[in-house]
Amino acid sequence: MIGRAVTWWREERGARLRRDRRGDVPRPGPFEAMGPFVRAVYAKEMLEALRDRRTLLVMILLPALVVPLATLGIPYLEQRQQRVLRSATPAVAIVGQDDGLLRLARTTRLILPVRAPDPLRALRERRVLAVVRLPSGMEAVVARDGQVRVGIQYDASDSESTAARGKVLDLIATYSREVVARRLQVRHLTPADLLPVLVDERNVATQRQLSGLLLAGILPFFIAMLAVVGGMAVAVDLAAGEKERGTLESLLAAPPRREAIILGKFLAVLTASMGAVIIVVLSMILSLRCGYPYLLTSAGTLDISLPLGTALVLLGVALLFAALVSAVQLAVSIYARSPREAQQYVTPLYFMIVLPALAVPFISELAGRMWVYLVPVLNTFFAFRELLLGTVNWGHLLLTSVSCVLYAAVVLKIAIALFSREAVIFRT
Amino acid sequence: MTAREAAGGPDVLVEAVDLQKRFPTFHAVRGVSFRCYAGEVFGLLGPNGAGKTTTLRMLTTILRPTSGGARIAGYDVTREPEAVRRVIGVLPEHAGIYGRLTAREAVRYTGRLYGVQPEVLEGRVEAILETLEMAPHIDRISDTLSRGMKQKVNIARALIHDPPVVFLDEPTSGLDVISARSVREFVRRFKRDGRCVILSTHLMEEAERLCDRVAIIAGGRVLAQGRLAELKAHTGLGLEETFVQFVEDTAR
Repeated sequence: MIGRAVTWWREERGARLRRDRRGDVPRPGPFEAMGPFVRAVYAKEMLEALRDRRTLLVMILLPALVVPLATLGIPYLEQRQQRVLRSATPAVAIVGQDDGLLRLARTTRLILPVRAPDPLRALRERRVLAVVRLPSGMEAVVARDGQVRVGIQYDASDSESTAARGKVLDLIATYSREVVARRLQVRHLTPADLLPVLVDERNVATQRQLSGLLLAGILPFFIAMLAVVGGMAVAVDLAAGEKERGTLESLLAAPPRREAIILGKFLAVLTASMGAVIIVVLSMILSLRCGYPYLLTSAGTLDISLPLGTALVLLGVALLFAALVSAVQLAVSIYARSPREAQQYVTPLYFMIVLPALAVPFISELAGRMWVYLVPVLNTFFAFRELLLGTVNWGHLLLTSVSCVLYAAVVLKIAIALFSREAVIFRT
Repeated sequence: MTAREAAGGPDVLVEAVDLQKRFPTFHAVRGVSFRCYAGEVFGLLGPNGAGKTTTLRMLTTILRPTSGGARIAGYDVTREPEAVRRVIGVLPEHAGIYGRLTAREAVRYTGRLYGVQPEVLEGRVEAILETLEMAPHIDRISDTLSRGMKQKVNIARALIHDPPVVFLDEPTSGLDVISARSVREFVRRFKRDGRCVILSTHLMEEAERLCDRVAIIAGGRVLAQGRLAELKAHTGLGLEETFVQFVEDTAR
């Protein structure tokens, strides 16, 4: 392999020297002359991309506004509904009689007991949110130290009715405790006699670990999503788009090597993809920091933060991942007949990449097995998870990085090969 | 052919020798040979599907000939494609534009692709667009330009590196009378500059107005070539009849 490479290099150099001696148009070597062309292609593609509203939409607006709004907005609405349901006093139809229970209901205001001639119909028509059926002679049985069975009817498909059920259960539990306390008193026992063991629990996870868990659950998914979506429009436009607009032939008739053109285009896709990733990471952390405390009373003290070092390594891994994604999108776009077709190929790719991101928290037992860090896409998400949970292993990280670079290079090579094939270029 | 002929005299800028191109499904070009000289406009004249575009694509190194070969300004199209690309200007058929770039940016981009030195590039971009009467529209976004103006931008892109050989594939197709007229005017100017211009057309009158010599192509073969006047004299007919005569003779 190496021997062949050396032979090739010698031949190439020899050929170049012979050409130079001929004294005509100077023919630079294969790589030293690529720089200016790569820059020219990159600059032009970026200029075009930045003038395209679609790019700005998916690269800036989506990660900066839509993603945080969706991630925080939906939980916020849910929380708000929970709060409303918690503070409400639902109307509950009571069938049967127990003065003690009804008195407790009125004093605790857990439910509003009402009478209804046809309680089930009232429940269906939402005039009451639950029906409680008390057995006949309940008071007498309870007073005789007996046990009774109370029925609750509710509608599990309705969140208000489900909440009402919870309140009824609360009420009955409170009532039961009162009865128990009375019975214990009569027997000269204390509640401690019933609970010989008490539990004292303490969470030893640090603020950082808790915030890491939260970030590990959310961030990899959005990095994956934006890595794909951020560069998608650009990738589709700068290869399949050139075919469709009829600008490709002029480009192919120009002197730069195919490698230089593809490299310039690849870097433009990567810039769009990585730009979206950086923006989404920043906007997620910012919005979680500012928005989360207001959202969850329990997380009031949760400090969402990412140490700078971790953030940089995270973005480094994300860059290599974005490189692989961009190379694949570019190759697909070169192969496609039209932007439409390219779009159709890229959409399944999106799901192939985003689904593993969602699955990783549930297959966390695979973490630590070496082969996982060689599987494209999966390796990146395990690396992200380790970084965010603070269980980082540099060996895993190295393996992930090297394999990402390798895969990206192979795909880029395929993209160049496709770009050099007449059958692909003139596929219409 | 002798070695000296193969090398080409000082004036021969384009030499195609038995060019053939076979696609998986059909044989598009079945042996095309011709020579063009500096200061000459050479026309590839033929009906649609005759193989004109495929021939031009082989000469501009975009397609690889299945057999045969060509030399442009002394460089071999198959063995030295990159050297060939540096000395030719190309206006492809139905050439598109980069809609979100201005005329200036599009021409500047092409200049950079051809390695035009940055110090001279800006001046050249302005000069060439001015020559093409595009000065008032130089900073307009290309999507807003008329069809004729877009074609002028593409002509400017083909000439930004001052190539000795220019290939124009159906340069006036789809243009209105005025735009087509000004494109023809530029072709004459290229000729006066001493460039070798090869253009393809299916329009007899365009060939008659512009070309010093033509090759009549049909079915992937050159049916006749020479000065149009000579070809007409040969058949004793008008140009259109001459053309039809040649095409029908081979079809028979």
